[in-house]
Amino acid sequence: MTNPSSHAIRIALILILLSLATFPIYWMVVTSLTSSANLFADTPQMLPDPAQSFNYADTFKHTGVLVWLKNSAIVAIGTMVLSILLAILPAYALSRFKFRGKGGLGFVLFATQMLPEAMLVVPLYAIFTNLALLNTLGGLILANTAFTVPVITWILKGAIDGVPLEIEEAARVDGCSRLGIVLQVVVPVVAPTLAAASVIAFFHGWNEYVFAQTLVSSQELRTASVGLASFVGELSTPIHTVMAIGVMYTLPAVLFYLMVQRYVVAGMTAGSVKG
Amino acid sequence: MASIKLQHVAKHFGTKVAISDVDLDVNDGEFLVLLGPSGCGKSTLLRMLAGLETVSSGEIHLNDRRVDQLPPSARDMAFVFQSYALYPHMSVRRNIAFPLIMRQFKWWFHIPLIGGWAKRRIERSPEVADLVEKTARTLSLTEMLDRYPRTLSGGQRQRVALGRAMVRQPEVFLMDEPLSNLDAKLRTAMRAEITRLHQRVGGTFVYVTHDQVEAMTMGTRIALMRDGVVQQFGTPREIYTSPANTYVARFIGTPPMNLIEGRVEGGMIKLGEASLPMPHGLAAAAHAAGEPILLGIRPNALTLGAAGAPGQLAGQVSLAGQVSLVEHVGAESVVAVKLSHASTAHDEEGAVPGEIMITTQGYSDLEPGDQVSVVADLSEAVLFSRATGERLRAGLALAA
Repeated sequence: MTNPSSHAIRIALILILLSLATFPIYWMVVTSLTSSANLFADTPQMLPDPAQSFNYADTFKHTGVLVWLKNSAIVAIGTMVLSILLAILPAYALSRFKFRGKGGLGFVLFATQMLPEAMLVVPLYAIFTNLALLNTLGGLILANTAFTVPVITWILKGAIDGVPLEIEEAARVDGCSRLGIVLQVVVPVVAPTLAAASVIAFFHGWNEYVFAQTLVSSQELRTASVGLASFVGELSTPIHTVMAIGVMYTLPAVLFYLMVQRYVVAGMTAGSVKG
Repeated sequence: MASIKLQHVAKHFGTKVAISDVDLDVNDGEFLVLLGPSGCGKSTLLRMLAGLETVSSGEIHLNDRRVDQLPPSARDMAFVFQSYALYPHMSVRRNIAFPLIMRQFKWWFHIPLIGGWAKRRIERSPEVADLVEKTARTLSLTEMLDRYPRTLSGGQRQRVALGRAMVRQPEVFLMDEPLSNLDAKLRTAMRAEITRLHQRVGGTFVYVTHDQVEAMTMGTRIALMRDGVVQQFGTPREIYTSPANTYVARFIGTPPMNLIEGRVEGGMIKLGEASLPMPHGLAAAAHAAGEPILLGIRPNALTLGAAGAPGQLAGQVSLAGQVSLVEHVGAESVVAVKLSHASTAHDEEGAVPGEIMITTQGYSDLEPGDQVSVVADLSEAVLFSRATGERLRAGLALAA
């Protein structure tokens, strides 16, 4: 039996942590539904004012938020698909094959994670200029993918390590080629981990700011992260508009996460127990 | 119709020799059992047959076709794994149909959605669907065709693995300890099922196990292996009654064959103080005069009498001893007796058990410490050289 007082303390702790996590989101929603007159009032408005929902209509009308969200979606989905496609085969090779320099390759993949994006902006800018990739969403997808592929490769390698070799041997006896084994047997078996890796790649592409700001200058190709930041002015910042865009920027990401959440949880626990 | 011929097959992992110069001829329709302890190379040999391991030297022939250089799928052999190796993301129906789908596989089946549609189409085609249904009926899996492997019990999973092998209608079935993950009761049931399957489906079976009961009950022939070398290749009866060496004698039989130290003198077998007349069947070994030998005798060829009972009947002799352990195993009892005037051979670990094992029918009233006389029926006894461990046969001289 649990002691009632310790149970109450536990509940209280959970509520405090939950409030800490959700309050900024709540505050974002409330601010997006606050009139500009009340934004800097002495007593902050704690409840959303539905009458201010025209803030959203105004934001749609006067900003390019829909285009930015579309661009962000293209970059995020492109990064996710390309990262997964490029990571599956190296992950399989690192897991299953023995070859000279395997350890070194693994280390180099890890080492790329130690380099900050800001350090690579200048060389990438020079390369993208030569390859005519500057100011294109494709270039942005490539830059983001370069950062996500190593980490996804390692995540998938871990999952493939857990796939019993006998299943692959059974597929060989049944007539599968090596590529067939990877695509028909291994990939479906590690699908939960694939979902988790997709979330990582998607959010990297969705949230990325430094490359999006530097490598893309055209207004029509702006992503939401850059568009959002463009409202922060030296003299004034329309906070309720920024927050309205913030809500719109968050919603698709939350929806995507809810869609794959079931698989992500399974992926993160896959292989942790004998089964 | 498939016969398998292995000629001088060897396998090395670096400097370690896993399989050493194996020659086997398996006839069409035979049920060959590769038997031996863990690490003896039996699974490696089976995997070499399947093409899952390369052959370091030697040749493997299926009928007249050399197959050791072919990929696994081109050998027309099905493999049943110890761990079942079912595809966890596929239903039982798809698991069984998978080898048939692979036969019609095109590169564009890799494309998502289109590939899925194409595979479903093959799975639903009358020839594949009928074969899958028929196989499922044979293995009582019809009710489970749309379930996933994770929802099945161990025995059901094993049947799905068998179904996946059967549906290909291969020339050879290779099975790597397929029953060792099952509990004892289910194992007995599946043992009978696989034997029936062999009788019904036909084809040549090669079956790996470390369980001598499986080997003796299922195999038409057994190849008993140790350290990558085939110790004896013969029918279960031959292996039981005429073990080629002391290793085989000790491996087969529960309890194993008793090996009593002695020597041949003047046409008699001398065990300690007792002299036994050389039985007719062993007369050929009389040339081993003076050399140390081991008398191999099965526990069921020994009977127990009260101490001092007259023993020297025709072809029989009695040895004095003291009961050291009695085990009751239902229908029979196993009695361990320490012989007074004779010693027994070292076992594999080098310890001297100093005891012989005797099986008696029913519940034995003997207790440890009782003095008994052991009466040996030598009609099915065998002699081994103590120096080499090899069985003494007519015309064979002992090693110096």
